[in-house]
Formats: sequence, structure tokens, C-alpha cells
Amino acid sequence: MRSKKTLLALGFFLILGVMSLVGSEVNASSPQLKITPELKEKFTLKPHHEKLSFKCVDCHEGQGDDPENFKAIDDKGCLSCHKTKQYLADRLKFMDNLHTNPHNSIHDGPKLYCDECHFEHKKSDNMCLSCHSNDVKLWMRPTP
Amino acid sequence: MSQEKMSRRDALKLGFVGAGAAMLSASQAMAAAPTEKDVKFDEEYDVIVIGSGFAGLAAAAKAAERGYKVLILEKMGRVGGNSVINGGAFAVPMNKDQKAFGIEDSKALFIKDALKAGLGINHVEMLELIADRAQEVFDFTVKCGAKYQTGKKPTHFGGHSVARTIVTENMSGSAIIQPMAAFVEKLPGCKLVTRAKMDDFVMSNDGTTVIGVTARINYRFDNKLYSDDIENKSGEKKVYRAKKGVILASGGFAMDKEYRKIQDPRMAPDMDATNHDGATAGALLKAFQIGALPVHISWIQEGPWASPDERGFGVAPLLTQQGLFVKGVCVDIRNGKRFMNEMADRKTRADAQYVILREDPKAYPVAIGTYNTFDEQIYAAIEKGLQGGVMKKFDTLDALAANYKIPAAALKETIAKYNEDAKNGVEDQFKKQTLKDMKGKECIEMKGPFYAIRTVPKPHHTMGGVKINTKAQVISANTNKPIAGLFAAGEVTGGTHGASRLGSCAIADCLVCGFVAGENI
Amino acid sequence: MIKKIFLIIKNNMLLTVLVGVLVGLLSSWILYEGLHRTSDDKFCVVCHEMKPMVAAYHNDVHGGAGKIGIKVTCVTCHLPHDNVFAYIATKARNGAVEGAIHFFGNVDAIDWQANRANRAHFVKDEACVGCHTNYKTNEAISEQGRKMHAHYDSLKDTAKEISCASCHVEVGHKGLRSMLNYYKPEYEYYKGKLDKKKEEAEKKLAEELKK
Repeated sequence: MRSKKTLLALGFFLILGVMSLVGSEVNASSPQLKITPELKEKFTLKPHHEKLSFKCVDCHEGQGDDPENFKAIDDKGCLSCHKTKQYLADRLKFMDNLHTNPHNSIHDGPKLYCDECHFEHKKSDNMCLSCHSNDVKLWMRPTP
Repeated sequence: MSQEKMSRRDALKLGFVGAGAAMLSASQAMAAAPTEKDVKFDEEYDVIVIGSGFAGLAAAAKAAERGYKVLILEKMGRVGGNSVINGGAFAVPMNKDQKAFGIEDSKALFIKDALKAGLGINHVEMLELIADRAQEVFDFTVKCGAKYQTGKKPTHFGGHSVARTIVTENMSGSAIIQPMAAFVEKLPGCKLVTRAKMDDFVMSNDGTTVIGVTARINYRFDNKLYSDDIENKSGEKKVYRAKKGVILASGGFAMDKEYRKIQDPRMAPDMDATNHDGATAGALLKAFQIGALPVHISWIQEGPWASPDERGFGVAPLLTQQGLFVKGVCVDIRNGKRFMNEMADRKTRADAQYVILREDPKAYPVAIGTYNTFDEQIYAAIEKGLQGGVMKKFDTLDALAANYKIPAAALKETIAKYNEDAKNGVEDQFKKQTLKDMKGKECIEMKGPFYAIRTVPKPHHTMGGVKINTKAQVISANTNKPIAGLFAAGEVTGGTHGASRLGSCAIADCLVCGFVAGENI
Repeated sequence: MIKKIFLIIKNNMLLTVLVGVLVGLLSSWILYEGLHRTSDDKFCVVCHEMKPMVAAYHNDVHGGAGKIGIKVTCVTCHLPHDNVFAYIATKARNGAVEGAIHFFGNVDAIDWQANRANRAHFVKDEACVGCHTNYKTNEAISEQGRKMHAHYDSLKDTAKEISCASCHVEVGHKGLRSMLNYYKPEYEYYKGKLDKKKEEAEKKLAEELKK
């Protein structure tokens, strides 16, 4: 009886182990695109992304291999890594106490398009500035 | 014309696909709105609403509640346009809080106030509609989830004889917009699409009835363009059928650099306004194109409570309208004297400020008051104003006078006289209505500290627009009768408020007329 | 004397082995207990200046906030696990340094927010991978997530190597940035205005540590 149980447990773990090995591993991006210094200068990355050594196609997936023809990725693209807008808003929760959380503003909640403010290949903007020109610099740092 | 011919000839020379496109754009430049036979509908709804502000959402919510399939098209990336950045002040004549606090109000008094501010050119039947239904529509928004600061004494806005304004919970229109947008989106078959710009009305083949719109989705408004409406080519075309009709709620045009300048040449293209970037005339002009009757287009209201020390609407409007202007004073910095009733209607005040600013464009009048002047509803904004530097705080009047280079002795004399008159119940030279209940009290507390804001009028509300009747149907200039299938509400309409709108009446107007449009479509 | 002992050992081989095993077991038990009892938040927080970190840790799945309630101790992620000597050495060194800072140093001068930039140094990848063995294949992770994990692997042992915490910025400490702000606001504007939140967090933390 006891040995039966042990066997069962052993089998269970074996199967689990094998399953974890054969699960689907995703390969890193397929099309080969050489990142030249010129390309790097033309489409600069934000420091926090630069540090992670991203390749163009990590974001511009399935958009061919000519950077000139790449399209801006929409919210879905950003959120494929950055989870959800609510998650991003929650990370700045301390700001909610003074109603200054740009990801959860009094006006819009966690609902704005990412690229209303954030741009990867050019300077980001801060939408709050259009009305709160004096206050934004006190409330938060420049938009990353 | 010759340019269009050129482009056609060039296109023909090329002889490629471009030809069709060039001809299409040339024909559009001249053109009438497309008709049923010109288009192929991509999607079909009962009601299409253009714009997602107070008017648009009230219309959509009411229509959706009646069981209609509603599509809301919003040009901008954010929902709510000006409504979502406004101060959340809603004039509700004869509201429950007025009764609770013993404030006597009536429909006649509301209309009298509005007519005075509007220089008598208001369309009174529209004012009656607002007075009759404001409370009902207020309750409807509460049902949709809007949150207000009720149970408090209503706020007394400039130009109103009595306090009749209720402020939203978060001091912004977003406390109405966010829940109402969610309310509509939750109902079956209803959809709110942002970055979707309406391009044209689609007419029935006989040209009499609005049966849909053409639009572009994934539209990116570009505030760097001089005229986004004309220059922006972004987005992908869609055609939507509206079986019951289209409700135009696209707002005003206070940020339309060209159109506002044409209407009022004093408004230079670089002039700051309180509006969001997308407040342009594009959709209004499309309504004119299909025959909508224009009213009062060149009356552009400027908000006298804005500040040159911040961009856009900012925080100053709260701190002056519900603060410094109520019990405090506004003085000409050159002589330390008052020059207007700080609680007059907007036009009266802006005109008075312009008398000074035309003589000296840098002599921004300064509003001054003490803590007792701030409404409870806006306490949270005080710190914001001080931190951002829009409002400044001084321990003494001397320090205040020195900062703004106001003759100190004259300023003190002005305030002493003002305080004394109010205390003794003597009507002041400008007949300020909010001083009546200050008898025996000190308006500006001489112990300080003193708060001050520099003021400047900023374009705020475009009074004119299309003419609607009390069913929110758009009237045709060709027939003087309603255009079938077209309704409108909110700032895109004109006439209701005449030459100048009273503060906190925009929400009332937008919500009531939007509701009525949703009810009648 | 020594000779005598040798003799006893010689004559009682079995007993000696038994005693040896016992001594060995006892000492490893002491070591284990010692290390174990000095590995969780309750011990570490005595000297380490880390109240906000512990508070945020309690809000995280790694701190027991998940459905199952599994708790990972501080040292699991924050100490190297390559070998027991390095582990003990680092532990001892950290303990001494932190103790010194706690008792003699200027705690207010520590810039916690700035230290978050060094998170890759503080979080040991081998610990993450030790539990999340299937980080490349787990289908509960989004496709993009698995793609990024493959990217992580491809950079391993290169000059561009990144770490788990490079991307998982608040791993193990949910809401760390906010919690740090309650204790020490990063912008002037918030100073003195978040004290209530700090009090709330402290109260909750005290209860958690009592458990």
C-alpha cells in the first residue's frame, strides 16, 4: 500500500518534470536586422530600454525588417511587457494621495493612451502640462 | 479653382492610382456632403454621437438607456474634451441644497440673470428648458454614477443673483464624464471610440436627411498644425450608418486659431485659452455645410478669472471664482483701486480688465482676499495654487503691495473702504451681490494672511453655433425647419446664453440639451 | 592522554562513529537552526534599515500575500547560493555592516530610491531561477514574457548581461516605490503630506511581524 502511494507520487512528479521540460519555449525574434550606428542614432531608445539591449523587432514584431517602414506600436504593444494600465497606475500609488498620479489622474483615470505622453524614439511629452504648467515639475519628474 | 485644375491635370499626366485620389480630394474641396449612393457603410448603429463631453455623453446615455445602439466618436485620445478638464460646477436652479439652506430661487430669476449677462440676446425658450429640467438631468447623472458635493451650501458664481451651483466631488467635470462614459459602454451594442474623427455627414439621396457619417479611426490630433481640421491626414476611413440620426456634440472652437481669429480679430493665433487643444470648428462647419443655421458665431466669451501665470485653464479659475472674487477684491495695480464688480458676469469683468490691459498689456489686475473667502468645496485646490506659484500668500498688505508694485497706501484705503461698506451693509459702488450677507462681518480679514492671484481674460466659451429648438433638433437655414436626422447639444449650439454665458451654466446646458436630444431622437 | 583516546577509538570503533555522527548532526542542526532563524524578515529587520522594504514585501506574493501563502525569506533572494561558505561569509559581512549602520551610522542619509537602481546587485538571479525553473516554458507567462526570458538567456555571460530585477523592478516588494515614498518622499512636494500613509503601513507591519 505504502509503496503504491510512493510510486504514484513519484510518477506524478516525473510527469510534471517532463511536462515542464517540453512546454513551449519561445524563440527570440526571427528576422535578422542589423542595428547600425546610424540606425541607433536615428531611432534612439530610452535609457531604460537601451540598458536591456532590445532589438528593433522585440517591439516591432511582424513588421518586416525595414525600420523605415515600422509602425508605432499601440497600447497593446507596450502592455505586452508593462502588463496593464491599472498596474502602472498602482506603481505610483503614493501620488494618488495628492491626486497627482499621471497614470490615474482625476481627469482620465488609468485610461489614457500610452503615446499621449510617452514616445520611444523622441522626447516624451507630459499632457498634464497643458493645464498644470507650474505644478507638474513639483509633482513628478520629466516623463521617461 | 486653378490650383484644383492643376492638380487634376497633373494627376491625369501621371495616369496612375493617384488620379482618383486627387480628383476625390479636389471634389471634396468644393463639395457637398456625400449622399447614400456615394458610400458603402462599414457599420450600422441607431444613433451616432459626435463628441464625448457632457452633451455627447448625456445624449448617448439617454439614447442608450432607451435601448438604442449608440456609437460615440471622439476625435481626441482622451474622453471628454473640455468637460473633463473643467471645474465641475453645475448650476441647478431650484435645487435641493438651495432649499435645505434657505436660498430662494426661481425660474424667472435664473432667466433674468442669464439675460443680463447675455445682453438680452439669449434665446429664452432654451433658458426655460434648462431651468425646467436641470434638476431632473442632475438626478439622471447621479443615476449614471456622477458624484457631487451635495449637502453643502451651493456655491455662488459670478452674475448669479443667488447661490445655485453644485460642485462635483473632485472639482472636475471628470466626476460626471468618467461614470457616464462607463454607463454607456456597459450597455449592449454601445461603443465609444477615441481617436475617431468625424469627417462628413452622409445625406439621404434626396439630400434632406442625415443618415450617417464618414469618419477616420486611428486619427492622431496634432496640436503642432495650424489647422488640424484641414491639414491632418492621419487615420483610416470608415462609414457609419445612423438609423435614427446623428447628434452633434462636438463642442466649441476656442482653440481654432484661424476660425476664432476670423470671428474676433483680437484673438491672435498664439493667444492662450482655457480650452483643450481639440476645441476646433471642423464639425461645426460641416453642419453649416449641410444647411444648419448659424447663431451668434462671433461672440467668444473670455474667462476673467484665469491667470497669466499658468497655461490653459489651470487652477486659478477655481481659486478666483469660488475664492478671491467672492469676498475679496480685484485691483488695478497702477492705482490700487477696484475697477469692477468681482462677481459680475464674465463679459462685464473681462471688458473691465481689457480697459486696463489695453492701456498697459502687462498690468494684470490682482485679485486679493483672505482665507474666509474660499468655498469649502475648493479647499484642496488652495495648496495646489500656492505650490505652483499661481497664487501667492503674504503676511501683510505691504508685502503684497510691494510684490505687485501696487501703491500700498491706496490699496489699504481701497480695502478699508470695501470692508467698511460691507460691514455696515452699504451697497458698494459696483453693487457686488455677494456682500449682502457680510453685514457685521469682515470681508477681508485684516489680520491676514493675504492671498493674491494675477488675472487675465482667456478665451473660454464660444457662444455661437448651430441653432437648435427645444427638442435639440438642428434648424436648417434653408427651410427654417429641423434638419431630419440631425440633433445637436452643448457648446456647438448657439443662442442660449446670448453674448455671454453665466459661469457654471455650461454643464447645465450641455447635460440638459444632450439629454433632450437623446430623448427625442 | 592522547594515546589513551586513540586507544579508546581503536577499541570502540562503533561508538566513535556514532559519537562522530551525533556531533556532526548536532553541529549541522545548530548551523541550520542558526541560519534559519536569522533568515527571515523578523530577524533581519532588527538591524537592517528596511522597514518599508519589509512592509512592501508583506504585500507581495513572495511575502505570503499570494493565494497559497508561500513565503520566501529575505536571504533566499538576497544572498548568494553558489556555496555555503560564500553564503555565510556574505551573511556575516552584511550583518556586521548593517548592524554598524543601524547603531552608529546616519540612517537618514541612505537614499533608498537611488538604491533601487542597484536592484540587479541586490537580487540574486540563481534564487529566482531556483524556484521559477520553467521561466522559459511556463505557459502561464505571456508569449511576450517568454520571448523576453529567451532574450535574457541570450545575454547571459555576455557584457550586456541583464538580471531578473532589471525588468521585474519591484519583484518581491509590491508597491516598493510608493512604500519608500511614504517613509521618505522622493519629491519635495510630498514631504509631510504622506505621513498618514506611513503610520498606516507601520501599524500593519507591526501586526505582521507579531504573527
